[in-house]
Amino acid sequence: MHRHMKLGIVLLILGTLVICASCVPADAADDTGDSGRDQRAMAAAGPSLYDLPTTWVTQHGDTIGLTSLAGRVQVLAMVYTNCAVTCPIILADLKRIEAAVPVEQRGDVGFVLISLDPDRDTPERLAEWAAQTKLDPARWTLLNGSDDAVRELAATLGVRYQMQPDAEVAHTNQITVLDRTGAIAHQQIGLGEPAGITTNAMLTLLR
Amino acid sequence: MLHLRSLSLLATLCLTLPVSAASAAQREPASGGVRAARAADSPVGVTDAGAMVRLPAGSYRPLYGRVGDPPTRVGAFRLDRDPVTRGDFLAFVRQHPSWRRSAVRPLFADRAAYLSNWAGDLDVGDAADARRPVTSVSWFAARAYCRAQGKRLPTVAEWEYVAAADASSRDAAREPLFVQHLVTLYSGRSRHTPEVATGAINAYGVRGLHDLVWEWVDDFNSVLVSDDSRAVGGRDHSLFCASGAIGAADPSNYPAFLRYAFRAGLTGATTVSALGFRCAA
Repeated sequence: MHRHMKLGIVLLILGTLVICASCVPADAADDTGDSGRDQRAMAAAGPSLYDLPTTWVTQHGDTIGLTSLAGRVQVLAMVYTNCAVTCPIILADLKRIEAAVPVEQRGDVGFVLISLDPDRDTPERLAEWAAQTKLDPARWTLLNGSDDAVRELAATLGVRYQMQPDAEVAHTNQITVLDRTGAIAHQQIGLGEPAGITTNAMLTLLR
Repeated sequence: MLHLRSLSLLATLCLTLPVSAASAAQREPASGGVRAARAADSPVGVTDAGAMVRLPAGSYRPLYGRVGDPPTRVGAFRLDRDPVTRGDFLAFVRQHPSWRRSAVRPLFADRAAYLSNWAGDLDVGDAADARRPVTSVSWFAARAYCRAQGKRLPTVAEWEYVAAADASSRDAAREPLFVQHLVTLYSGRSRHTPEVATGAINAYGVRGLHDLVWEWVDDFNSVLVSDDSRAVGGRDHSLFCASGAIGAADPSNYPAFLRYAFRAGLTGATTVSALGFRCAA
């Protein structure tokens, strides 16, 4: 093997070891109940997501800008309705977070699902799915946007996704909590939430 | 600066490396995609306006995909011959003040690092600096620049398709000498970027794809994982939906692996001192 290539591979593997030190706790999490996948709580008052100049259509057929989400704490996830494997788990997580909202503060929290499959997830389809999965229209907003709008929102949230030849959409499973101004307050990457960290992040914002 | 939130993703990706390296000997037979790309040869040349190169339709075999999948088709398009220079970008920020260093919205660029190698809002350095590729620009900024020219960023597929060419062949992605050369180039990237004119011109007539800077692509945030990652025990459905669908189809292509790994660490607001861009149309 050429010397340079061998060096390159060694460097890569070394880099892998260094970087991967950070992901070991994620796997250990299953045993300890601690969550390595609940990532960081970001510094408060970051840039507002609502600065994205994108427009969306809700499950009710209304055209909105993201700024119309301002004023409430919002819990966001990017999903698609034909997703069989992980999206139901994300939805279950979101519903658990919803259930933790004190009754008197239910009007202060919104839940937003953005489709990664805007061609098939038309506003009508989103409405149908919201009814099937019993999402309270007072709190849940489902959004359909252009490919470009979806790409920009995903790039901002750190969501990665790719259409597959079999019409599945591979994507990162991620839940984001936004404060009332649209700044990212917390992100949960991965599924399950053993420590309730995301719920706590939301509750903190309600205080 | 790479964002912490991307590190676990990068780690997931990196874990696949030893597996890929171990199976490197299993070189795939020449793919239909390679033949298709060669069969699609058509006149290629630099256009006069904006120094763009016409690329013929063709196909290429992406690093990630299922073994046995058909090669990815790439339609005909045009690509800037050169990466965008600091001088080019200066003209853009003169006309679009919201993209100046002191004015950019933090949602669109990591403010502390955006254009941090410039001396000021409208000061790129000396004449030689103006001829270097612009770097420390975010994806949002790169998109805005291309839009202002009536262009767009190239897709991963388009960029990788062109990047498979060396100086004489349109598909050299698996040529050992080319692979070795690219690995050396990538490992030598620094914040001191060479002038654009020093870039090597490839078989399509595109300059400096590999020897100047990393380059943004429009769909940099396409997911990429492997289901043969040993440390996470196979399909990591916890992190990815449909993750089982994707694996490295071409483990012999180390330079592509490095590019994908690099992109995995980025978000839309990230800036990196050796990351620039060029536009497509």
